[in-house]
Amino acid sequence: MGKYVLKRFGAALLSLFIIITLIFCLLRLMPIEGYLGPNVDKLSEEVIAAKLAAKGLDKPVPVQLFNFYRNLARGDLGKSWIYRENVDIVKIIKPKIKISAKLGAMAMALSLIVGIPLGATMARSKGKWPDKLGTGFIVFLQAAPSAVYFLFIQMYATKGTGLPMLYNDSKPISWILPIISLALPSIANYGMWMRRYMVDQMNQDYVKLARAKGVSNKAVMMKHVFRNAFVPMVQTIPSSLLFTIMGSLYVESIYSVPGMGGLLIDVIQRQDNTMVQALVLIFASVGIIGLFLGDILMVLVDPRISLTGKEESR
Amino acid sequence: MLNNGDVILSVKDLHVKFSLRGKVLNAIRGISLDLYKGEALAIVGESGSGKSVLTKNFIGLLDKNGWVDSGEIWYYGLEGGPVDLAQYKTEEQWQGFRGKQVAMVMQDPMTSLNPLKTIGWQIEEALKLHQGLQGEAASKKAIEILSDVGIPEPERRAKQYPHEFSGGMRQRVVIAIAMACNPQILICDEPTTALDVTIQAQILQLIRNLKDKYGLTTIYITHDLGVVANVADRIAVMYAGDIVEVGTCEEVFYDPRHPYTWALLSSLPQLGIKGEDLYAIKGTPPNLFNEIRGDAFAPRNPHPLKIDFLYRPPYFEVSPTHKARTWLLDPRAAKVDPPEIIRHIRNIKLDTMDIKAKNAAEPTAES
Repeated sequence: MGKYVLKRFGAALLSLFIIITLIFCLLRLMPIEGYLGPNVDKLSEEVIAAKLAAKGLDKPVPVQLFNFYRNLARGDLGKSWIYRENVDIVKIIKPKIKISAKLGAMAMALSLIVGIPLGATMARSKGKWPDKLGTGFIVFLQAAPSAVYFLFIQMYATKGTGLPMLYNDSKPISWILPIISLALPSIANYGMWMRRYMVDQMNQDYVKLARAKGVSNKAVMMKHVFRNAFVPMVQTIPSSLLFTIMGSLYVESIYSVPGMGGLLIDVIQRQDNTMVQALVLIFASVGIIGLFLGDILMVLVDPRISLTGKEESR
Repeated sequence: MLNNGDVILSVKDLHVKFSLRGKVLNAIRGISLDLYKGEALAIVGESGSGKSVLTKNFIGLLDKNGWVDSGEIWYYGLEGGPVDLAQYKTEEQWQGFRGKQVAMVMQDPMTSLNPLKTIGWQIEEALKLHQGLQGEAASKKAIEILSDVGIPEPERRAKQYPHEFSGGMRQRVVIAIAMACNPQILICDEPTTALDVTIQAQILQLIRNLKDKYGLTTIYITHDLGVVANVADRIAVMYAGDIVEVGTCEEVFYDPRHPYTWALLSSLPQLGIKGEDLYAIKGTPPNLFNEIRGDAFAPRNPHPLKIDFLYRPPYFEVSPTHKARTWLLDPRAAKVDPPEIIRHIRNIKLDTMDIKAKNAAEPTAES
C-alpha cells in the first residue's frame, strides 16, 4: 500500500510539474501588456526595459522558470501586476479561497446528505411515485438553467423567510441561501447517480443469491446494494470537495460573495499573467490531488482494486 | 426409495403468467409434480421452457411481473403442517422460508457473490439468519462448512474476497452458502453451465455428497443431459411451460415415450453416429404469448398425429413412476416408431440387462 501511494504521489507531482512548466512557458509568449498594463504603448523604451528588469523578466526563460519554482518553494506565488497592482497574490486569494471553500464544503455536505438518500429512496421504489417525483425534480434541476432557479430562490426565499439577500461573512444566517443554491445542482447529480448505481446493483446475481439466502429486502438494500452502489461515488468525492475552492461564478455574483468565483476569467480578460499562472497552478494541483485521493480512497473501499496490478490469484 | 418416500413438495395444476410489454405470457401451463424427500430430480428442457420459472415459485423469487395464476404448491417440510406456497404473497411470508427450507445454487458463480464482502462474511450472513449463530461461533462454523465443500485452507480463504477465487472454487462457496442455510430442498439452477468440464464433474460430485450426507432433496435444472445421467434419480422433461414426460432416470433415458424426449435424446452428441449429421430439432418453441392448442410440440414433431393439433394430451401412465403427455400412448393412436437412435439406446439397455441376468444366473469364476 505504502509503495503504491508513493508511486501515485510521484506521478501526481510529475504531472503537476509538466503542467506548470507548460503554462509558464506559454505565458511568456504573451504580449508584454500582460506585465505592464494596457498603457504600455505610451511608455518609452527605457521605462519599459527598466520595468521588465525590475520584475526579473529580462532574464532568459529557464532562469525565470527556476526563480518561479524557487519562490514557489517558499510559498510565494509572486505579485499581481494588474488585477491589484503590486499586491502579493497569496494575500489576494487566501481570503477568497477561504470563503468559497467554506460555502462549498457546506453545500457539498448538504448535497450528499440529501442527494444520496434521495437516490437510494428512488431506487428502492423504482417505477413507483417517489421515484417518479424524484425523477421530475432531478430532470428539472438538470434541465432548467440554474440561473432561473437561483434568482427564483433569491427573490422568493428572501421574501418568504426574511433571510438576508446578500452575503455577509460575519453573519452565518446570510450563508444559508448561497449554500442551498450551490447544493441544488449537486443534489440532483448525486441523486441521479446514486439511483442509477443502486438500480444497477439491484439487478446483479449476488443480490438474487442474497435474497435466496433469506436475507430480508431491507437488509439486502442496506448491506449489499447501498454499500456497493456507493463505491463508484466515492472516487469523485475528494475532487468535488477540493474543487469547491474555485467558487461558483453565478451564485457568488448574485449574493455578492467575495469568493473565488469567476476570478480566473477575470484575470485572463485583464491579462494579469502572474495571476493566471498562480490560479492555473492552484486549480491544476487541486485537480491532480483530487484524483489522487479518489484513487487512494477506492483502494480502501474496493478490495478488487489491487495495489500492484498483478496480485490477481486464481 | 422413489415411491415409498414421503412427498416433500407437491405442485398441483400450476399456472404462472407474466405480464410483458402489455401482453400476458403463459410461462407455466398447468404443471403437476410431486417431489419426494431425499430424491434428486432433474428438470430438463431447452431455454425458455420454464424450468427456472417453475422452481422460482418454490422460493418466492418470481420476477415482479410474474404471478401464480392458479394452482397449488404444497410444502410438507414444516412442523406446523403443510403450507400452500402459492398463497404466499408478501415478502414477510417468504421471510424465514427462503433459505431455511429451500436454498438455491445459481448458474454463474462469477457473479453470484458480493464482490465487496469476504467469503466468510457471506457464509456467516446465512448462518446468523438460519442457525442463530453469532460472532466467533458463526465464523468457526463458516470455516467448517468451507472445508466441508472442499476448499483447502478454509481459515485463510474465509478472509478473502470472491475475486481471489476461481470459478469452480466460487461455485463451492455458493454451495457453502446454501449449506449454511441448512435447507430441506436445494435447487441447483444449472450449477455447472458456467464451469469448464473438469470442474463440472467435481461440483456435481460435491452436491451429490452433500445430498447424501445431509439427506437433502435436490432439484437440478439443466439442459445438459450428461449432467442429468450423472446425478438424477428422476427426470422431468419440460417443453413450453409444461412437463411432457416424467420418470426415473432409466425410464426416460432408455424408454422415452414423448416425441420431444426422443428429439432431445437424438440430439445428444454422445449418441450421434460418426459420419452422420447430428440431429437438430427443427423449428422454434411456440410463442407463449399465444394460447397453445393441442400438443405444444406438434408443429416441430416430424410425425405428428392429427389429434396433436386439436386436443391437449393427458398424462398416460407407462409405469407407476413413468408418465408422458402424448397421444401416442393412447391405445387408439396409430403406431409411430421412435427414431432409430432411440431404438438403438433401448437395445443397448436390453443387452446390458441380458448380460446382468446371465451373470446373476451363472456365477462367474471370480466369485
